[in-house]
Amino acid sequence: MPEQLEVSMTIYDKIYKWLDDRFKLRELLPSIVKHPAPEYAVSNPLYCLGGTAFLCFLILVITGIFLAMYYKPTPDEAYKSVQNIMTAVPMGSLVRSTHHWAANTMIAAVMLHMIRIYFMGAYKKPRELNWVVGIFLLLTVTTFGFSGYLLPWDQLSFWATKIGTGIAGSLPVIGGYISLLLMGGNDIGADTLTRFFAIHVLILPIAIATLLGLHFIMVRIQGISGRL
Amino acid sequence: MAIIEIEQPKAEEQHSEPVRVRGLPFFPHFLLREVVVMCLIGGSLLLLASYYPAGLLSPADPFTTPTPIYPEWYFLYVFGFLKFWTFDLGPIPAKIIGVTVPMVLWYGLLILVPFIDRNPSADIRNRKIAVALGVIALLGILFFTYYGIVHGE
Repeated sequence: MPEQLEVSMTIYDKIYKWLDDRFKLRELLPSIVKHPAPEYAVSNPLYCLGGTAFLCFLILVITGIFLAMYYKPTPDEAYKSVQNIMTAVPMGSLVRSTHHWAANTMIAAVMLHMIRIYFMGAYKKPRELNWVVGIFLLLTVTTFGFSGYLLPWDQLSFWATKIGTGIAGSLPVIGGYISLLLMGGNDIGADTLTRFFAIHVLILPIAIATLLGLHFIMVRIQGISGRL
Repeated sequence: MAIIEIEQPKAEEQHSEPVRVRGLPFFPHFLLREVVVMCLIGGSLLLLASYYPAGLLSPADPFTTPTPIYPEWYFLYVFGFLKFWTFDLGPIPAKIIGVTVPMVLWYGLLILVPFIDRNPSADIRNRKIAVALGVIALLGILFFTYYGIVHGE
């Protein structure tokens, strides 16, 4: 490349060229940047539901990380630490409340998204497996809600979890195992709280990231279903 | 607005002519709309969070059961069905049916939807049975949710 041309380049051109030399941006970017989104999907707000759920997910990740910095998963400390978040930590109340609302909105958006897919018949060939992944996402999201519900360790958390583990525990054959796996004993106690915490902040995030990856890759490969 | 047109071969027919699909490029048009929607939803969540903060009742007490007591709203239909189904079915106790139907059978059925519905048409006018079953399922979920609220413990 001639010297003069190098000189006339702006800093952005230089960064672009530096990256392009190494990662072939010229070949990779257009397929992403120019990828067409069908007009009906851009103009119809019903197609926003999946994206809304994903936005809620991102908000939940960020607010959740901040909550984890102050939360303490033991029966003695859990309630006090949430009380501390709500009263003493700067913006703590806003972060926890946003986490709460984003969680409920996400579950509602996932359900509405599923209802749209059902009534538009968007699960039909070739998208059968993406529907199946979607159902697992619905299960993951509701389990997220269920596990997060116990963490504040107040009366509502405790007794709602009592009902939930009771229902899961009375399933035939596997119920007993599920109940033991969730509670780490015969009743809700310290072991249940640490288990629910681990499920909520470690196991389910890995699960949902994997499922979301599959979900989006399949949409990318197969396109948005256009038949109404 | 820049509307681009691409030629896309029809997946269903072998010998078909390419269909022209009108679309908008992902960047910047589609992304711009996404960012606007994201701002609206993000703003609404912050507004909700400021006006209706997440609650915190008294500390958990394993020896005092509060009344009434409900599970999370998205599990109310399971809870409602369990309260609704009070009769044994032959040798199967009522409680087993009450928990198995809304959890195992319902989710199993949902997973199998694309494999049960083999009708290739996505036109709502050609899918009367699927639409009717969908409406019945929705009404059922709403009914059992309502039942769960009314019959809280």
